[in-house]
Amino acid sequence: MRDIVRVNMATGAITREPLPDGWARYGGRALTSALVFKEVPADSDPLGPDNKLVFAPGLLGGTSAPNGGRLSVGAKSPLTGGLKEANVGGQAAHALAKQGIAALVIEGKPADAAARYLLVLEADGAMKLERMDAWAGLGNYATADAIKETRPADDRYATITNGPAGEMLLKAAAIAVSDPKMYPNRFAGRGGLGAVMGSKGLKAIVVSDKGLPYVEHADKDAFNAAVKKFANALTTHAVSGQALPTYGTNVLANIINEAGGYPTRNFSAGQFEGVENISGETMREMTLERGGNVKHGCHTGCVIQCSRYWYDKDGHYKTKGMEYENVWSLGADCGIDDLDAIGDLDREVSDLGLDAIEMGATLAVYMDSGKIAFGDGAAALAAIKEIWTGTELGKTLGQGAEVTGKAFGVKNIPVVKHQALPAYDPRPIQGIGVTYATSTQGADHTAGYSITANVLAVGGSVDPLKPEGQAALSQGLQIATGMLDAFGLCIFVAFPVLDMPEAFEAIFELAEAHTGLKWDADALMQVGKETLTYERLFNEHAGFTNADDRLPKYFYEEKLPPHNVVFTVTDEELDSVHDFVPAVAASLGIK
Amino acid sequence: MKVDVVLFAHLATFQPDGKGGRHSRAFDLAEGTIIAEVVEMIGLPDEPRVVFVNSRHAPEDQELFEGDRLAIFPPVAGG
Repeated sequence: MRDIVRVNMATGAITREPLPDGWARYGGRALTSALVFKEVPADSDPLGPDNKLVFAPGLLGGTSAPNGGRLSVGAKSPLTGGLKEANVGGQAAHALAKQGIAALVIEGKPADAAARYLLVLEADGAMKLERMDAWAGLGNYATADAIKETRPADDRYATITNGPAGEMLLKAAAIAVSDPKMYPNRFAGRGGLGAVMGSKGLKAIVVSDKGLPYVEHADKDAFNAAVKKFANALTTHAVSGQALPTYGTNVLANIINEAGGYPTRNFSAGQFEGVENISGETMREMTLERGGNVKHGCHTGCVIQCSRYWYDKDGHYKTKGMEYENVWSLGADCGIDDLDAIGDLDREVSDLGLDAIEMGATLAVYMDSGKIAFGDGAAALAAIKEIWTGTELGKTLGQGAEVTGKAFGVKNIPVVKHQALPAYDPRPIQGIGVTYATSTQGADHTAGYSITANVLAVGGSVDPLKPEGQAALSQGLQIATGMLDAFGLCIFVAFPVLDMPEAFEAIFELAEAHTGLKWDADALMQVGKETLTYERLFNEHAGFTNADDRLPKYFYEEKLPPHNVVFTVTDEELDSVHDFVPAVAASLGIK
Repeated sequence: MKVDVVLFAHLATFQPDGKGGRHSRAFDLAEGTIIAEVVEMIGLPDEPRVVFVNSRHAPEDQELFEGDRLAIFPPVAGG
């Protein structure tokens, strides 16, 4: 059973219908993008009644597939204006899938803008909307506590919550999902989807999977064999088996800095003199000293275990172990080299329900204006705290880097399609520049993680300082990522998949044994291509052209130290990245 | 000649002074020394690694020169 559940926020009606036959191969991002393409007018107001917020576990959600518990969240983005998929770990994907829900679609808008709703999805299939107006303005942590008060003591459930930033309809608002210890610390971060949730009056969703078994497979024995094969690949590859579990994602800080691509002080340099203080190695040492956890999965079934918890000086939980992106955005990009200051900022933006990448980039732009100094963690925290009360500054910052940069007259604003660039400078790492420029998502590193061959020597090797081969590399990775996101697989499985043929084979063996449909390498990539085609066409309908597939002008003109290079991939090469779209659109019968 | 050598993640424990840490150490090397000879001198395990000289990827048969910075990482990645 894979159903679509629709929740109409205007009428309160909740309905359930089977997934259309033509979408049997779709899960996760393939499903959210297909659904938004089909049902949301491209010219609609992202915060209006016609936009839809879609939550979809991957095709392998609710199973024991290693690292198969990612959740896709889709809508028209208030930040980019295009079709958005934000991807998040945590426990919600498995819980939804075990309930037989392939897609949860939030539609319409309540007449009363002051209304706050909790959507309850019980393990026995009961579904209801409850009015919780008293929860207005609560941070994510307080909301999670409030939900706990409503649940039986022996329940097993996941939460999806929206912080005050989303309620205020801020374009940097993100959606929080609970982790295995019930902390609301995993984020569908990018593109302002918290604002879409806020526009619909939806404060929180609770999904119980108490007593629910794994989803059944077409061929259980073949599935279990593929699980073993895949888990073995993930745990033996040096990156997913050793580096990520030992140091977390922030293991990247030193190597990206060494390569000269670690954006510092609003992308004005590629190396940060304070990197050692905020590196993954230092973070691990400090966390162990404080009694924090340095190795767990963000969702059940993860065998990589790159998550951790950050503890304050007194040994108390503060926030999730800050990811590489968060340490960079709230750290190096702001010139801050103190992990406690970064942890405090991370806790604040998480509780408010904001995208940490966008907010770090926003603070860096704000610092670049001279209003506060680079490196001043206390001033940065004070500025972020203004979002709680909705001061003029708070509301400006909460709209992201572009709005903030324009408001304060900053010359260099690092955005593509209105979304802030993540933690790799595209000048000395040109492959990621191609992804930033051409992704349907706006600037996004996960959309086609060219860092692999550019810096890490994973999946081959390409000279990061040169344009040759970068467009083809990014195209292949963007398609493959669309596929992984459709299956609900963590992006980090890509490292072994790129290097080990048996890891790639295991994915279609898992898919075949689970669905009973025939899968092979071509079928996997076709799902990736179809996903990107829905997104690309939606964006075209929304008014995007090739001119939007470019980096800001200064990346082509201002040399970045230490390599003193600019971005040199040609427009023609950038425009080749989506050359497969017309043929795929024709095969789908869509325009 | 003097070459700065930095080792990251678990490789830091291989620094000859036994002190670990990711700070650079000045190695006194003979003219014409190549990266592979330094790797052997340090006793790094025979495992994949990523090597930079002066912030650029470098093959292990590359010759080192006075003032170079040699940085060696185990395979790492994230996002």
